[in-house]
Amino acid sequence: MENQKDNIIHFKNISKVFPGVKALDNVSFSIEKGEVHALLGENGAGKSTLLNILHGVNSEYEGTVEIRGTAVSYKNANEAIKDGISKVHQEVSLIPELTVGQNITLGNEPRKGMFIDYKTLHKEANAILEKMNCNFKSEDLAGTLSTGEMQMIAIAKGLYHNAEVISFDEPSASLTNQEVSTLFSIITELKKNGITILYVSHRLDEVFEICDRATVLRDGKHIDTFKISDINREELIKKMVGRDVSAYAVRNKKLELTDKKVLEVENLSVNGVFEDISFHLKKGEILGFAGLVGAKRTDVVRTIFGVMRKSGGTIKINGHPVEINSPEHAVKMGLGLIPENRKTEGFIKYFDNANNVGLTKMEKFTQYGLLNHKKKTDNCNQYAEEINLRPKDSHYMTVNLSGGNQQKVVIAKWLSSDAEILILDEPTKGVDVGAKAEIYRVLEELLELGKSIIVVSSELPEVLGLSDRIIVMREGRKVKEYINENLTEEDILQYAMGVKQ
Amino acid sequence: MKLKSAGFNREFSLIAAIIIMVIVFSIIQPVYLSTGNLLDIMDQSVINGLLALGITYAIITGGIDLSVGSIFAIVIVVVGDLLVRGVDPVIAIVCGIGLGFLLGLFNGLLISKLKLQPFIATLGTMSAYRGVAYIITGGWPVLDIPANFRSIFNSKLFGSIPVSIFVLLAFAVVGHVILKYTKLGTYIYAIGGNEEATILSGVNVNRSKMLAYAISGTGAALAGMVLLARLGSGEPAAGQTYELNAIAAAAIGGASLAGGRGTMIGTLLGAILLSTLKVGLVVVGVDTFWQYIATGAIIVIAAYFEVIQDKVKKINFTKKKIA
Repeated sequence: MENQKDNIIHFKNISKVFPGVKALDNVSFSIEKGEVHALLGENGAGKSTLLNILHGVNSEYEGTVEIRGTAVSYKNANEAIKDGISKVHQEVSLIPELTVGQNITLGNEPRKGMFIDYKTLHKEANAILEKMNCNFKSEDLAGTLSTGEMQMIAIAKGLYHNAEVISFDEPSASLTNQEVSTLFSIITELKKNGITILYVSHRLDEVFEICDRATVLRDGKHIDTFKISDINREELIKKMVGRDVSAYAVRNKKLELTDKKVLEVENLSVNGVFEDISFHLKKGEILGFAGLVGAKRTDVVRTIFGVMRKSGGTIKINGHPVEINSPEHAVKMGLGLIPENRKTEGFIKYFDNANNVGLTKMEKFTQYGLLNHKKKTDNCNQYAEEINLRPKDSHYMTVNLSGGNQQKVVIAKWLSSDAEILILDEPTKGVDVGAKAEIYRVLEELLELGKSIIVVSSELPEVLGLSDRIIVMREGRKVKEYINENLTEEDILQYAMGVKQ
Repeated sequence: MKLKSAGFNREFSLIAAIIIMVIVFSIIQPVYLSTGNLLDIMDQSVINGLLALGITYAIITGGIDLSVGSIFAIVIVVVGDLLVRGVDPVIAIVCGIGLGFLLGLFNGLLISKLKLQPFIATLGTMSAYRGVAYIITGGWPVLDIPANFRSIFNSKLFGSIPVSIFVLLAFAVVGHVILKYTKLGTYIYAIGGNEEATILSGVNVNRSKMLAYAISGTGAALAGMVLLARLGSGEPAAGQTYELNAIAAAAIGGASLAGGRGTMIGTLLGAILLSTLKVGLVVVGVDTFWQYIATGAIIVIAAYFEVIQDKVKKINFTKKKIA
């Protein structure tokens, strides 16, 4: 039996209705003091809404939230922070022009009369940073730090307000593996100091590594709360999605590869970024690019796509040397790039699916200089069918689709342009488990359509599950090329982390 | 099509607002409703309308064109000078349009190739182009514009409708067709919506931007020639602060200064609404100073209307998602 006294947070019959949407439906569970508690569920399960209620962002809801045994109702995030309930956001929002210390104390600066007391400010901030073993100072400018370090500032901000509960919303999404392990050691440290951690993540490995208990939400309902040690991956995923979905990328069948090379890259370099990258891509294969964040994999594919200028090396497409100096040219050569960040680089927010899909090759719908909107719509319908877009509506605004379906629209852009070589940069970033499986299925179908694919991914199970061959990069160099047979994550990590050279 | 229906809503409300204004002004002062007066309203919106239609192109790309008033002045003095020297009016008009196009293209060049911020680039050319206009005439006005040129814009069609109104409508129609029915138009919306994504889709963004600013310059050129024909003289100081009225009309018409949104019909209605108000206030005898306040209020109300509309759309959307 749970001991009521040990619960720092108790959610009691929480319901939240947005206009027409029941985001949370009578959710009740408790979080014990000093535990690391994972909050799991697919996108739209209600995790963010619950966090927003806890942190005072949403102040209107049914039910009660009890903290340390008393019901609270924070009117805004500041009240929650002052009551010791802090949050580290998915995307860290700092003011880059201010110092680290100013960011940590923002809004609650120590004062001397009407002026900010910078001496005390930096002293207090440095004390916290030291406790966290950070290797930067309160006086440094926030803008000079890496993403991981910025996250440390967010944690420090919570500690400055004597946080008792800190929740993390997808903290590892933009961190390197190195930074993730630093984050974990800090979380362990926080836990030792009796601080309760709420942890939201799509990465199950992390949940199994650092969490004590977990709560699964699905469609706004509380499904279960349990000890992590009592459950395995498959059972956990089943709870999250309510159906069997393979969590990992699995190729159902690999194509018989011929020797036809659609893309050959030799000694490609960009001064000061990466050097001497050589590889080829065969028709009908998936070539994986593995490596830690900062290995410059994205820069390599962007250079091939003409976004960055190469300083040396040659690129051949179907055996012919080409000089690609703009994305426009790359598209004409039959390349397609599905960029890492869908929202800022993948699609146009005011466009419906038909326009987003059609954008890469408007010539197809143009006659005598004029566009034929019906042809454009038909074009989109055709690809919506192929990639199983939901809803299958050409006039639906892409921005209103789920993350997975937005990604399908971005893929469809390149089907529409008849790209032969597709480059996917982190294709399932921020996509929920169910949609991931579907994107993997789409990739396999693309191969059968005769496309060849490069996948850049920081998720090792994804690279291992999808690729025919894998190239490992580290710090701007290609360190290993593998045929993907009986490889393990360890094999790749040894090269990616520089254990083996 | 969702893209259109969102704009349609806006345009419908603008028409309603114009009709309500006309009714209110006519009740106060019945003469307002006369054909002559209504034509006058249209006539009054021609110059601002042409400038606004052009500037809408720059605004949709996510930019701005502050130099339209100065392009307007250069075209006035150059075309005026050509006419005075005895150049055939048709050739002079073609030169004027070409000049506006080129001056706009130069703006586009600064913005796309040199990557200058549109506000700064066109702030620079606003001043520089104005200087060019003064230098061309030595600061003097161009006088005695030949009647054959003036009659091209001023003569009446269908009894009493001046040609200049048809120039406005024709420019709006061509502008609309380019935006909705050509690759260029789609690219212009795409650039304003998300430039990075547009570049990565393989679109030649620089060329599209240059053409957008060239079209903006063309609108200013047409507006300049309309004024030249009306007044029979042109001066290099003409058109100062006209860019602000043009931006106002575009904004009322639903063009978003953040880019990606705006239509020719919306901007046209925005310009007509502004002159409906202006003429109305004059006819009912409101003091000039109060006219400025009324214009300002309309701009703010139109902007707020947009905010409300977005909210309503969001709510409707979540409702639909459930159903």
